[in-house]
Amino acid sequence: MLFRVDPTSTVPLGDQIAACVRRAVADGAAAPGERLPAARVLAESLGVNVHTVLRGYQRLREEGLIELRRGRGAAIADGASPHRARLLERIRETVGEARGLGLTSDELLALVRTEYGAG
Amino acid sequence: MNRKSAARAALATLPFLLALAVDLLFFATRRDRLPGQLASHFVGNGRADDYAGRTSYLVVTTLVLLGTGLLWTVMAWAGKFTDRAYRMTIAFGYAVAGFLGYLLAVVLLINVDAPEDAQGRGQDVSFPMWHLAVAVGVGAVAYGIGHLAAALGPGPEPVEAAAPGGNGERIALAAGEVAGWARGAGSWWLPLTALLVLGAGVVLLFTASWPAALPALVLGLLLATFSRPYVTVDRRGITVSGLLPWPRVRVPLDRIEAASSRDISPLTEYGGWGYRIRPGRTGVMIRSGEGIVARLASGRDFAVTVDDSATGAALLNTLIDQRRTDH
Repeated sequence: MLFRVDPTSTVPLGDQIAACVRRAVADGAAAPGERLPAARVLAESLGVNVHTVLRGYQRLREEGLIELRRGRGAAIADGASPHRARLLERIRETVGEARGLGLTSDELLALVRTEYGAG
Repeated sequence: MNRKSAARAALATLPFLLALAVDLLFFATRRDRLPGQLASHFVGNGRADDYAGRTSYLVVTTLVLLGTGLLWTVMAWAGKFTDRAYRMTIAFGYAVAGFLGYLLAVVLLINVDAPEDAQGRGQDVSFPMWHLAVAVGVGAVAYGIGHLAAALGPGPEPVEAAAPGGNGERIALAAGEVAGWARGAGSWWLPLTALLVLGAGVVLLFTASWPAALPALVLGLLLATFSRPYVTVDRRGITVSGLLPWPRVRVPLDRIEAASSRDISPLTEYGGWGYRIRPGRTGVMIRSGEGIVARLASGRDFAVTVDDSATGAALLNTLIDQRRTDH
């Protein structure tokens, strides 16, 4: 899996790492069951802090894209599909745009609910 | 499958067949003077501590010489070596054949006319350790002969030279962007091998002594740390790491000239699986199939078999370009 981070970017490094995994799942480059590098290995490779990597992994776990198993490291979750990863990418974009427009999370959720109701 | 590769294969097979013929000839001419059970294994002082029947001597000798011979035959046939590496490979095969052939013959000859005990075991058979030195000498002479024969015989097919800097894919990186590629390279046989070697060590610990068990235990632990290896490509170079930070295999980026992704045949190119060092190349062979091959500044190749090797090779070439423009 290819990881690329830009330390000069305003996006937190942990989020950048999470975005790489999301991208790989969306592209089909990473299939369910594939192991992610150990946080220590990836941190040394990219020259970032181990906790930064772990923050990124934690985020992916909350999104249901990876599973963190004690002693066995991180792996792409069984439920992770390219579609799900692409949806998560779009949600990120949407939230970013909503923030730019000054919408609160409740306001955005209300819009989402309306869309669901319409469909 | 042309005449040249058949001739190379024949050249590689020859010393093993010769060694086998000599050993079989000794056996045939001295068969009646051998004890029923040949002294076949010796300890430090040259005394025998294990015995083998005449038939098993024949079977083991044939299998050992034909098995190793076959390995060198396939390497000579399709190993894709450069001229120099090919000659060294052939010569090394001659050395192995000479060494093994000599030792197997000595074991037979020291058993000739040995008195038998009640179980038919050869008595008063000893293996003077200077035979080992002679075996190494025979191997060295055979190495020279093999080198000469390889130089006179047909050479290997020209290996397509890696384009300087590699002409493959690149990964577009923004200024200041840091990139790393990591991929698990495990296989089912790695943990199994570690387990078997460790198991053998534990068995030896209880049945033999700890000096006998130690090498197996150390090797087993080493293999265990590599039971789930990881291949990493980043600004430091290419790394194959195990479960612990050390031991690991790393080739620094400074030493790599270009990288490519291609199918690798461990048996013909590296003579087997595992961590392999061969003339002109070093490899971590975990399975057959695609892998990253890095051409080093020293002219050697470093290869590792791993999935999605095209991405790894592309990143390696990108980082090499970056290094060149930075300096």
